[in-house]
Amino acid sequence: MTELSAAAPALADDPFVEDHAGSVPRIGWRSRLVPLMAFGRFEVGRLLRSWKFLAITVGFPVIFYLLFLRDRPAGEVVGGTVTWRVYLMVAMCSFGALVAALNAGGTRLSMERASGWARQLRITPIPAWSYVGTKVVASMLVVLPVIVLVEGVGAAFGDVRLGAATWVGLTVLVWATALPFALLGVFVGFLVATEAAFPVVTGLMFVLGYFGGLFTPVNRMPGSLQLLAQFMPSYHHDALALAALDGRTLAPSHWLVLAGYVAVLATAIMWKHRVEEARGLA
Amino acid sequence: MPRARALERPRGVALSFQGVTHRYGPRIALDQLDLQVFQGEVLALLGPNGAGKSTTISVLLGLVRPQQGRVQVLGSDPRRAVADGRVGAMLQSGSGIGLPPGVRVEQALGLVRRLYPRPAQFDQIVERADIGGLLRQRTDRLSGGQAQRVRFAIAIAGDPEVVFLDEPTSAMDVESRQGFWRMMRDFGDEGRTVLFATHHLAEADEIADRVIVLNHGTVVADGPGATLKAAVATRRLRFVTDHPDRATLSELDGVTEVDVCGTGVSIDSLDADATIRDLVGRGVPFRDLEVTGAGLEQAFVALTGCGNGRANAGAGLLAKGPSLGATVRDVP
Ligand SMILES: Nc1ncnc2c1ncn2[C@@H]1O[C@H](COP(=O)(O)OP(=O)(O)OP(=O)(O)O)[C@@H](O)[C@H]1O
Ligand SMILES: [Mg+2]
Repeated sequence: MTELSAAAPALADDPFVEDHAGSVPRIGWRSRLVPLMAFGRFEVGRLLRSWKFLAITVGFPVIFYLLFLRDRPAGEVVGGTVTWRVYLMVAMCSFGALVAALNAGGTRLSMERASGWARQLRITPIPAWSYVGTKVVASMLVVLPVIVLVEGVGAAFGDVRLGAATWVGLTVLVWATALPFALLGVFVGFLVATEAAFPVVTGLMFVLGYFGGLFTPVNRMPGSLQLLAQFMPSYHHDALALAALDGRTLAPSHWLVLAGYVAVLATAIMWKHRVEEARGLA
Repeated sequence: MPRARALERPRGVALSFQGVTHRYGPRIALDQLDLQVFQGEVLALLGPNGAGKSTTISVLLGLVRPQQGRVQVLGSDPRRAVADGRVGAMLQSGSGIGLPPGVRVEQALGLVRRLYPRPAQFDQIVERADIGGLLRQRTDRLSGGQAQRVRFAIAIAGDPEVVFLDEPTSAMDVESRQGFWRMMRDFGDEGRTVLFATHHLAEADEIADRVIVLNHGTVVADGPGATLKAAVATRRLRFVTDHPDRATLSELDGVTEVDVCGTGVSIDSLDADATIRDLVGRGVPFRDLEVTGAGLEQAFVALTGCGNGRANAGAGLLAKGPSLGATVRDVP
């Protein structure tokens, strides 16, 4: 067999190429990072330009907040020192994060896999994991403005008054702990066929919302539902933020359950990715 | 069109398969495949549904790891070649169009360019793929043929040295198809290696330097486009004559193959008109004359037809062999 002896294309003036050993220069880490950032920007931009996505992710939590706010006196204490107006704002932050993450990941990912776009990206120079990785990062990035928006609505229409540091702390906490939702969205997109993705995402949104105590405080629910709530990541997400606002210590159980979800979902995604890759589908 | 350029300079091996076997579960998709493609070659991959064309491309892209054998792309592992941005591809789209929904064509193309270390110029890609009028259109509102042009643009966005195209023109009308062939050939003329799978025999014949026919995951025919042309030109004459003389018949103008069975004669000829004139001129009495095209289509059917394919594996060239089968109509 004739060995390949072709000259590599002229690359000497490429600032991103670091190593010229061998006939084909290896690509340096900087030029590996630049494409990933372009991909991330593309994904986030695509979500923020989609009216359907914006309508769902902004519409649900904001409208629910405004609707539910009248259900009780806004100043009624629903647990600890937390009033209805504050409880509802935090719950809708959780719900908004959930809705944004599920819709950013689930339906789109499923569609892109079916259409062959995911495969097309797979044969570009970006690493195999970067498709999934970027999806998770993009989900997290679009969750943040949703949280801030709901907080703004809480302040403007619910008369929620917090100190500046509390606002920032709350935002960071609610945002960072939304990771299980982002992973869940991506996992659903991986697992579910395109036709089923939208109903599954919508179903999960309301199941996790309702049974996680985002529409009614868990302590006002019947005992069996209170037990069920303990298994919902949405409950622990919400409970962490409420505890923080209430000045209570953040119970390790909340962290544990959320971390458990992260571990399980991340493993499931990696497993699914590996299986598909072996079959040449990822 | 012959490519003098390609013959002048020594070329390296761009793609190589050595005893590659791949199974999807119990189903064998590639069966001890051996193949070498040289740099600058434009190669067409023909074969019936399920022959293994797409699997061959998946293996070359590192999407599928074959269970046995060795595959090299540009002298390295397929995944290495992909990671180095030296490869571009247009995959066979499944249920969808293979483009991200909800963005404009220019955005999708812009993204893919940014994923490569040494992309081609944006304007050059646009001109090549003839998508100037589509840039501001949303990808989910493209027609099938338009989407294929955009996917071609995406395949060449990284300025690749090797391009794999899986049935690139399947949704195009005649005019776009002609344009597409032109640009694919230009691409090959620049010394890039192009491997494309197709069901259009004319397409293979028109643009490829070399045509490979695949069946049941192995190469059943391998020859240059000219060989295919000869196959297209070949006609089969059949007639009845009382005392067939094989020696005389073999001397007739244009004859490549003579088959005698009792009083029945079957002749393959590269020039049927000349053969018949000669037949009449020599005063050979014949009746029930029937002329049929032992064309490419038939050659293809014969090579890949049930059971026949494996038996013909040694034949090598498309135009050869009496096994081209009974033929009833000409090639379109
Ligand atoms: N992902 C897969 N899972 C299981 N079997 C597969 C898969 N992909 C291909 N096959 C099988 O492998 C064989 C070769 O398929 P391949 O797609 O390579 O054929 P092809 O020549 O591209 O056909 P077509 O002309 O229809 O595109 C077929 O028998 C097919 O059923
Ligand atoms: Mg195919």
